[in-house]
Amino acid sequence: MNAGSSLIAHMRQNAARLAAACTACGACYRACPMVPETATLTGADARSVMAGIRDLLIDGPGGEAAVAFAGACTRSGICTPACPELLDAAFMMRLANLRVRGALGDPPLVRGRHDPGWSARVKAFARLTMSEQEQAEWL
Amino acid sequence: MAMTPDRQATFWYGCNMARHGEIIRLATRILGAVGVDAAPAGGPGYCCGSTQEKDARVAGVMGARTVEKFNTAGRDMVVTWCPSCHANMHDLMAPVTPTNFETHHITQLLHERRENLRPFLTNPVRARVLVHAHHGFQGRAPVNTDVPDLLRMIPGVHVLDHPLRIPSHMCFAIAAIPGRLAEAHRDTLAAMTDLGADTLATIFHSCHREAVALERGRAIRVVNWIHLLAEAMGLDYTDEYKAWRNAPDPRAMIGPDRLAAAGEVAYERLVEPELTRPPTL
Repeated sequence: MNAGSSLIAHMRQNAARLAAACTACGACYRACPMVPETATLTGADARSVMAGIRDLLIDGPGGEAAVAFAGACTRSGICTPACPELLDAAFMMRLANLRVRGALGDPPLVRGRHDPGWSARVKAFARLTMSEQEQAEWL
Repeated sequence: MAMTPDRQATFWYGCNMARHGEIIRLATRILGAVGVDAAPAGGPGYCCGSTQEKDARVAGVMGARTVEKFNTAGRDMVVTWCPSCHANMHDLMAPVTPTNFETHHITQLLHERRENLRPFLTNPVRARVLVHAHHGFQGRAPVNTDVPDLLRMIPGVHVLDHPLRIPSHMCFAIAAIPGRLAEAHRDTLAAMTDLGADTLATIFHSCHREAVALERGRAIRVVNWIHLLAEAMGLDYTDEYKAWRNAPDPRAMIGPDRLAAAGEVAYERLVEPELTRPPTL
């Protein structure tokens, strides 16, 4: 198994573990700053959305609201301290986010942001802020 | 000046820290002062995989390559700076590729070794400081408490407590929503006014690059926490990113020789739009 396949297996394993531990109480959903920013979630029931997130984590369809909630995740991290089960809710939501963005190999259900100029931009800044020796040793 | 090192570490500064070469240099010297011989490593060649996370097969290979480089570096500790890199190492990299090093966040490591650092903090720094605290990373490394603790060791620094916490582990994923970064900056400035703070101390690099423009037209300083420690230690530095960002003509300030070294086309397409974009407020 190569590193990419190993990572996918690790993500699936942790997604299943967190789906099993989550009680879908909705506390993380209610704490999330992205809920009021996401039109699909207007009027949605927190417990139902989180039941959908659990389903997504085990490769189920999840439903429209769960897909929207997972896709809206910006890794604010506010969800983790809100979880009464002391789960790493931010990691759980990140895994759900990666699933709906197609990171595990399924067709993406939502579009994520991607900066195609990232690597070239980092290198351009490095040429401005680092000496040639630092670039050779640090990059 | 530095004490004899008792640990050999890689200072994994991440990728976007390439904008802040002086922070890498200063952090390395401060780690040296507390007994950690740290070799900087970062940039796209040491990617944590987050930039390619939309495809886990690619991200996995990138992360494994980085772990393998650290394994072969012969240093038994990796000191992280970037919260994304730190989280990825714990969540997605080390569980997949075996490591022969420990991973520590720089704030925790310096806090643990703060009594080694204290004798070096001899230069008074007159500042009433609000630390730019965030949600989202405190459970991984207690940055919102460790950084203020470190800054309180500096003679002349008054760190002021405020309950404000900005969403996300650094600035600022929610910034994709129009107005939210400006709102966070407004809240930060209001907190500074409430407290009578004259200095905003950023914790992370992306927060720093977003916040430095707040200096324009305001009687405040925006510095990174590393800058304040460096000033107390008498280490010279120039925050060039801030100078460029706030210059009327960053191109002129950078100068033709350095522009040529960076590459004119790369500067124009990738750097200049960032340096010249309007401030949030």
